[in-house]
Amino acid sequence: MTKRTYGSTFGDVIKTLFLGRRSATLSILEEEQVQSPYRTMLRNFREKWSAMLGLYIFAAIFLAVFLMPIFFPMDIKFQDPTQKNTKPSSSFMRYAKELDGAVVSIDGGSVYGVGVDVNGKIYQWGTLAAKQQKLPTSTAKFVQVSAGLDHALALDANGRVHTWGNDRFTLNAIPPLLSAQRVVQVLAGHQISMALTEGGVIHVWGNTNLITIPVPADRQGSFTKMVANTSLAMATTREKEVVVLSSRETPFSYIPGEIQGRVVDIAVTERSAAAVTDDKNVYVWGGEDHGVQQIPAHIQGKAIAISAGRGHYTALLDDGTVTSWGWNNYGQGTAPKLKNIVAISSSYFQNYAIDKDGKIFTWGLKGYLMGTDQYGRDLFTRLLTGGRVTLTIGAIAVIISGIIGIILGSFSGYYGGRTDMLLMRLAEVVNAIPFLPLAMILSAIIGSRISETGRISMIMVILGLLSWPSLARLVRGQILAAREQEFVTAAKAMGITEIKIIFRHILPNVITVVLVNLTLSFALCMLYESSLSYLGFGVNEPNATWGNMLYGCNDSTVMSQYWWRWVFPAIALSLCTVSINMAGDGMRDAIDPKSNDR
Amino acid sequence: MFKYVLRRLVYIVVVFLVASVLLFALYKSVPGDPARMMLEGNKASMKPDEYEARYQDAVRRLGLDKPVVVQYFTWLFNTIKGDFGYSLTYKMPVRQMIGVPMKNTIMLNVWSLIPVFAITIPLGIATAVRRGTRFDNVVQVVTIIGYSLPFFVIALLFIFLFAVKMPIFPISGVQTPALKGSTLRMFFDKLYHMALPLSVMVFTSLGGLTRYVRATMIEALRMDYIRTARSKGLSEKVVIYSHAFRNALIPFITIMTGWFISIFSGSVVIERTFLWNGMGKVIIDALNQQDFAVSLAMVMFYLVLSLIGNLLMDLSYGFADPRVKLD
Repeated sequence: MTKRTYGSTFGDVIKTLFLGRRSATLSILEEEQVQSPYRTMLRNFREKWSAMLGLYIFAAIFLAVFLMPIFFPMDIKFQDPTQKNTKPSSSFMRYAKELDGAVVSIDGGSVYGVGVDVNGKIYQWGTLAAKQQKLPTSTAKFVQVSAGLDHALALDANGRVHTWGNDRFTLNAIPPLLSAQRVVQVLAGHQISMALTEGGVIHVWGNTNLITIPVPADRQGSFTKMVANTSLAMATTREKEVVVLSSRETPFSYIPGEIQGRVVDIAVTERSAAAVTDDKNVYVWGGEDHGVQQIPAHIQGKAIAISAGRGHYTALLDDGTVTSWGWNNYGQGTAPKLKNIVAISSSYFQNYAIDKDGKIFTWGLKGYLMGTDQYGRDLFTRLLTGGRVTLTIGAIAVIISGIIGIILGSFSGYYGGRTDMLLMRLAEVVNAIPFLPLAMILSAIIGSRISETGRISMIMVILGLLSWPSLARLVRGQILAAREQEFVTAAKAMGITEIKIIFRHILPNVITVVLVNLTLSFALCMLYESSLSYLGFGVNEPNATWGNMLYGCNDSTVMSQYWWRWVFPAIALSLCTVSINMAGDGMRDAIDPKSNDR
Repeated sequence: MFKYVLRRLVYIVVVFLVASVLLFALYKSVPGDPARMMLEGNKASMKPDEYEARYQDAVRRLGLDKPVVVQYFTWLFNTIKGDFGYSLTYKMPVRQMIGVPMKNTIMLNVWSLIPVFAITIPLGIATAVRRGTRFDNVVQVVTIIGYSLPFFVIALLFIFLFAVKMPIFPISGVQTPALKGSTLRMFFDKLYHMALPLSVMVFTSLGGLTRYVRATMIEALRMDYIRTARSKGLSEKVVIYSHAFRNALIPFITIMTGWFISIFSGSVVIERTFLWNGMGKVIIDALNQQDFAVSLAMVMFYLVLSLIGNLLMDLSYGFADPRVKLD
């Protein structure tokens, strides 16, 4: 019976590679044992710290980009201009501590929040631009606040309106009319401000080029509450009816007939509107995005108030609990279990709920770990998904070039003569044409006619087809040296077919060298792919790769102000290629002890 | 020797022809009618029959009415004569339009040679001589990092450090716009604009070349004649610089040629990042504008460059190493 020695199976090798050698006391005989070449290689590899470090880093990156997108899925079509170029932060809902237990009014803006406490003092949190940090200087006691895209409004106890933040598009020009009237509600929208007076009249000012909010003259004087999204506004009247304030016919105009005259609260998302009626039922009409029309059954007959963000609703029930439904990409559509809630406020991707003691509860978007890009997409999820695309393209390109290179190299080396001459000249032609320009031309000519998925596969094929010559030459050289050895002669004498001799007898002898070369060219293929994408000839938007995330980042504004847009992809890509090269270099040294000195 | 060169030249011609057929086939497979694209801008201002006449004229002038084989040979002969076709974007012959970018690219590449060799050769020798020391290990790791980092990442980093955070150098461009002055002043202005792309280029080339110098040097230091030289009592300096280095130079020629060719294609990325008006930028613009005559001319240029580079490399082997017989 032979005792199995540790390190003799593939599983042992992998175990040893990552976990370290099993420390067992060996007898002198065992210690003096001759090591197999593979074990020697492994030992050499493990002794080189840079190689091990490279291996660990690459393994970590690999696991991260292949496993984490499961938990952080990327919605490829997602774009949100309200979230664009947001810096890394997690403070969108980190409300001022002073507000806890003393909050009067609270509202979330695009990437920040505003609140007022019982003393009438305003607090802000989240990502604020320079202009937004100048709070209104009035000594009056504030009672209500509303936060918009990049400006905010506040109402004081005397019914006066104050504004701060973005002051362009006449956003800072509060209509003089309002100073003579008592305002009861202020609303800061998408570069638009609205105020509702005691007399039920709505005033609108701000960027009217972006959205126009026409208020029908015959309804003025009867409004009781107003809500707005980025394209229109809606209001309720004293007759408990809903009025759409829009110049165009939109899905919002199809208000269910049965609710008119019974509406107590309304809310609007980007594509749909919802109303709570006096019998505590919820009605949703308009678009169906993100499942907003699937109203949870248990809230019917119990809802007393409703609020909405970009694509979700939150309803307050008469038993003091809250329920959210609709868009849930940042967790805003999943309300925690709360009780004794008396007021809710939702906007964009945030939710605030206040209980009867004035305590604040939040759920939804806290911020972005790595910020957002120019389309408001979360860079962290793009980085993960992009890494997966980059690694996959690199790997498949290497496999393609590996197959071509090994087959052509083997034939060339084994048969020699004319085959060799022809194949090597072919390799030289491919090698002679500079890589990037040719790849760019191929991508520009072929790529314009195929789909985006086809484009990604095309890039893999182009990279594979253009990078095999170096490997073919290496394999040829190795086979050339091996084919004169005795075991090949023996195999020939036994009548084994030539194909079998090449691939079953010779190739296994040279496979380690090939593997090292493949590892190093994996890094190279990744570099080429990202260079192509960086230049705009590789994978295009909206797909993400580490290269195309850097496309357009050589701009001075992006460089200096939106540093997170280029720093994170650049670090990820560099870390990945450096670690692969370190591991590959270590492998080469481990396989060829002579090159230890190199 | 003569026979060898002749054979190599024949070989170059064959490779050139094969590649040109492939590239021409690619060029022909591009959708769109170049004759129509040529007249695109003037379409509105012309009467239909006048437009038709002009169109026919353009078709004749571009030779599109002839069979593809004839078109190929016309194109090939024109290319050899130096007539690279007509740029649709610039509305002028490619040869005329390409002069300035080519000068810019060559300037950038040739200037980068000096610092690259001034750094890599001494560093490579030093690490080879001090093999296995801490200094060597550190340089080894640093050079791996150096050649693994993508060109554009280093370029972005340099822009951020030296043009945005510390605005020492201009962020992009070849020349200060509307600058008038003496030739000397223009020259220094160009050097000033070149500083950042040049340093990126040098920085990215350091890693690979240093490692190569080190490897060839170690190989050379192991030879018997080095032992002989040492045992004769020659000083270490003479042994290293006179005996070992001259022999280490031979394989170095290979990598140098390859590097010089690759830097031309690598400069595509650098030129794009720094908006340097060179060949790389021309090729990107041409592809973005669907101006395929220009991009084709560019690739042919790169091809000829690398074929001649390979020939020169092989010839220089013969000169550098008397043992190499070229036949």
